[in-house]
Amino acid sequence: MFSVWNWVVHGLYLLLNFCSLEVSGGLVQSCGHIIPESPVLALGSNFTALCILNESCLDFGNIYANQIIWKIKNRVVPKEQYREINRTVSSVTFNDTSSLATPLTCNILADGQIEQNIYGIAVTIGLPPEKPKNLSCIVRQVSKLIYPMTCSWNPGRHTFLDTHFRLKYRWPQENFPDCIPKDVNNSCTIPDVQFFVNLEVWVEAANALGKAESDPLVLDPIEIVKPLPPYNLSVNSGILPTVLKLSWENRISGALMKLKFNIRYRTIGDTKWMQVPPEDTASPRTSFSVQGLRPYTQYVFSIRCMKEDGVGYWSDWSEEKTGVTTEDKPSKGPPIWRIIDASHSPAFWTVRLMWKALEPFEANGIILQYEVTVRAKSSLSSSPEKYNVSTTNLTLKLPNGTYEVTLIARNRVGASPPSVLLIPATNSKAPVKNVRTLPKDGKLWVGWTAPNSYVLKYVIEWCLVSNSSDCIIEWQNEPGNVQGTYLKGDIKPFKCYLITVYPLYADGQGSGQSVKAYLQQDRPSKGPTVQTKKVGKAEAVLTWNHLTVDEQNGFIRSYTIFYKTVDGNETAVTVDPSKTEYTLSSLTSDTLYTVRMMAYTDEGGRSGPDFTFTTQKFGKGEIEAIVVPVCLAFLLIVLLGVLFCFNKRDLIKKHIWPIVPDPSKSNIAQWSPQVPAKHNFSSKDQMYPEGSFTDVSVVEIEADDKKSFSEQDLKPFDLLKKEKSTSEGHSSGIGGSSCMSSPRQSVSDSDEGETTQNTSSTVQYSTVVLNGYRDQTPVQVFSRSESTQPLLDSEERSEDHSGGGDSTSQRQQYFKQNGGQDEINTDRPCFERTKQITPTNDGDLVGFAQLQISGQSSQLLGLGLEKNTQEAALPDVLQTSIEGQTVRPETVEGNPPSVDEMPKSYLPQTVRQGGYMPQ
Amino acid sequence: MAAADSPSAALRQHDLCSRGIRLAGKMRSDVVDLLDTYVERQGLDASASVAAVEGVPAAAVERWNEQTGTQRLMENLAAYRAFRVLLAQMLEEHREQLGEADAALGRALASVLLQVSAFVYHLEELLRLARRGHPREE
Repeated sequence: MFSVWNWVVHGLYLLLNFCSLEVSGGLVQSCGHIIPESPVLALGSNFTALCILNESCLDFGNIYANQIIWKIKNRVVPKEQYREINRTVSSVTFNDTSSLATPLTCNILADGQIEQNIYGIAVTIGLPPEKPKNLSCIVRQVSKLIYPMTCSWNPGRHTFLDTHFRLKYRWPQENFPDCIPKDVNNSCTIPDVQFFVNLEVWVEAANALGKAESDPLVLDPIEIVKPLPPYNLSVNSGILPTVLKLSWENRISGALMKLKFNIRYRTIGDTKWMQVPPEDTASPRTSFSVQGLRPYTQYVFSIRCMKEDGVGYWSDWSEEKTGVTTEDKPSKGPPIWRIIDASHSPAFWTVRLMWKALEPFEANGIILQYEVTVRAKSSLSSSPEKYNVSTTNLTLKLPNGTYEVTLIARNRVGASPPSVLLIPATNSKAPVKNVRTLPKDGKLWVGWTAPNSYVLKYVIEWCLVSNSSDCIIEWQNEPGNVQGTYLKGDIKPFKCYLITVYPLYADGQGSGQSVKAYLQQDRPSKGPTVQTKKVGKAEAVLTWNHLTVDEQNGFIRSYTIFYKTVDGNETAVTVDPSKTEYTLSSLTSDTLYTVRMMAYTDEGGRSGPDFTFTTQKFGKGEIEAIVVPVCLAFLLIVLLGVLFCFNKRDLIKKHIWPIVPDPSKSNIAQWSPQVPAKHNFSSKDQMYPEGSFTDVSVVEIEADDKKSFSEQDLKPFDLLKKEKSTSEGHSSGIGGSSCMSSPRQSVSDSDEGETTQNTSSTVQYSTVVLNGYRDQTPVQVFSRSESTQPLLDSEERSEDHSGGGDSTSQRQQYFKQNGGQDEINTDRPCFERTKQITPTNDGDLVGFAQLQISGQSSQLLGLGLEKNTQEAALPDVLQTSIEGQTVRPETVEGNPPSVDEMPKSYLPQTVRQGGYMPQ
Repeated sequence: MAAADSPSAALRQHDLCSRGIRLAGKMRSDVVDLLDTYVERQGLDASASVAAVEGVPAAAVERWNEQTGTQRLMENLAAYRAFRVLLAQMLEEHREQLGEADAALGRALASVLLQVSAFVYHLEELLRLARRGHPREE
């Protein structure tokens, strides 16, 4: 419903507007109008408008002035600003036009509610023009006859209105048409002006709100001329090599104004202009000779002009023209220096003369050749050698001596003054002192302290020190009155330079003093690679190589060694840069250390790679201190053990190496009379057919009985031994198998010399051979046995009991045929112990030694002997050891019991190999 | 005290004379150039004398010593006024005959015309100053 009502109101509004248009167009009479129509108002001023209703509308629509509503655009003007002048006129007043906008409409409320537009006006608000300021004019010459004048000014503030500017000018007696700017509001150009008459110029600005004029400018246009620059400039070489003549034409008539000029010039490649003194060119002219130029130099010239009296403007610079001065002879001789190589021959020098090409301003032309004259000072009679070269060096091979070298450069015009270099035999003069360097302003300054003597000049020699390239020497001369200079060359940063200063005297030369320098330092490009030379328990010797010159980038001021354990803090040690080795101390043993090294220059340091090492677990000598005593102790123990074992060898032998009874030593054959024929068998097998046993008896001989044996009685034993020793293998295999007797039983000797077989423990045994050999009738062998105990057991027991036996009843146990007699003989020792027969003679030893046969088991051989020599002294044994076999020299104290003294049935017989001797 | 006797009047007169002389020189230079151009454009004889042209008053140089400065100024003023009229007539004819085809010649004519007018102004000013007081012999 509300929208429909709005639509209706809108339609009525359009209809009213249409009617109003009709009225304004004359077709339909309007109900009113506003005065003033389309006003232009100054910003900030007050403004009053009147809306006047037509009388015809009053009657027709009952419209009166009190119903008028003023609106700015769509905003209703507050009623406080209204004033009803009469019933047909209503006014509205604005104290400040800045609140105004367009359109301003006069409306009326029909029937008290419907708003109808009566009339509207467009309001224009702006500012009046300001007075133009800063008016200035310039006459720019564009051709020989045309001189337009351009005037410019400051138009002032923006007016928001269409403002017109006019440049007005006039002569006193004549007005000229105004100059109207095009597209701009601050300048205008008058196409042509006439000189020598004062011209009054001013600017007029006008808009709807007013008009303003600038202050007039009265001037003669000739005073503000900017002429065109001279043209057709040409440069010609003069007669002199230092003069160039310029010629040109002026574009402005001399009748109009007299000109003065500026001439500037520069050498090719230079950006800085030089200028001919203005007073030299302050008069009208069309040519000028520029003097004081360098010979054979290319110059660029340019020229400008202005009114002679300086009133007006300088023209632009003319186009540039180039000219070259003519050649002149070189102004000075080339600087010369030498390098002497005396390494090839002691008597001759290789002198490399080198000189610098003259600078263009010194050469004054093209150098065609150099003339080198070498004169030996020592031999006045010799004529000087002359060389003409086109290069800047000359290598000569000269004998050692003093030389004077003269160098002349020559061009087309002439020769330079000579340069003289004295080459003394030795640099014996005073050198400079305190050579020092200082980087300054991107250059390297070298200073020195002059010697006390007058120095003609100095030569500063330098070269870049590098591992990758040779030291290419550069040099420069300096006058003798200076004590410092900048190196004139391409000095690179981060590079090491070796700088040497030589003082040159009139009669000699001082030795060079050198210093190393950097123009700019940087951190080293890499750090030292550290490694260990020696690692101990608590210390490690680190070594490294110095960085190469190319890697240093500056002076190495110090090294810093950083080392740490895996979980420990890093420790730093500063090392003198001259060192290449350092010992880390107070390290923890058996610990992994990581070490790295930094090299520092003045600009910082750089670290080398990490290196790890592990300290040793033991220090130097510790292992030796442990091992040696242990070894010694071990050896001692072993020795003691050996001694002990040797002492107890019999006992040990008895335990681990029992003596196997040797059946060949048995007397059973003698003891058994039924088988005498068997004793004739030559071989053992024949003697002991398989399955047959011989009777074995134990013959116990009292040790004391031994005394009763005479040597004669023992001879058969010796013989037996000898024969036995020659019969190999007879004892093997017998003891364990064929002999029923215990080996230990048969070797019952003991250290104490006790007889293991005393009366109570003696096992009297014998074996009864039941079976015959094969189909033979077994031989009934009588064998005495008093015990049925197992032999070994009884032997063991007897062995065990032997220790507790009576020492006084020492007896040697022997095989014997008749056990029944043993008790009689047991108390008779067969042999005395060795120690008891210590007093012996060599003959005995020799005689005993004859019993030993090399290559035969002495054990076996000594079976019988051992029974006799159980008490042999150890030293004797050791002394007679031959080829690893122990020969126990045994001497028999006294004469052994003779055979005759012994019971016949028990006498041992000489047993030959292969059988038993019949008893 | 007469105005011409005042320093400002003397400076003014000196300034007028100085600039008048330079203007005359400039005018002469331009006229010579213009004459050359005109002769060339008209196909006239370059050697023809222009010292005496019918209708143009001659400068009273022949009786220069017999006249006062004011008289000289007046005669010169008359001559240049006549010259200005003739130049204006010539410029008008040029515009009618050549139109914009030879703008440079037209601009040269206009320029000379302006300079003649300026010189006339100078003469008038000098004459005015002379009539006020006793002008020096410039």
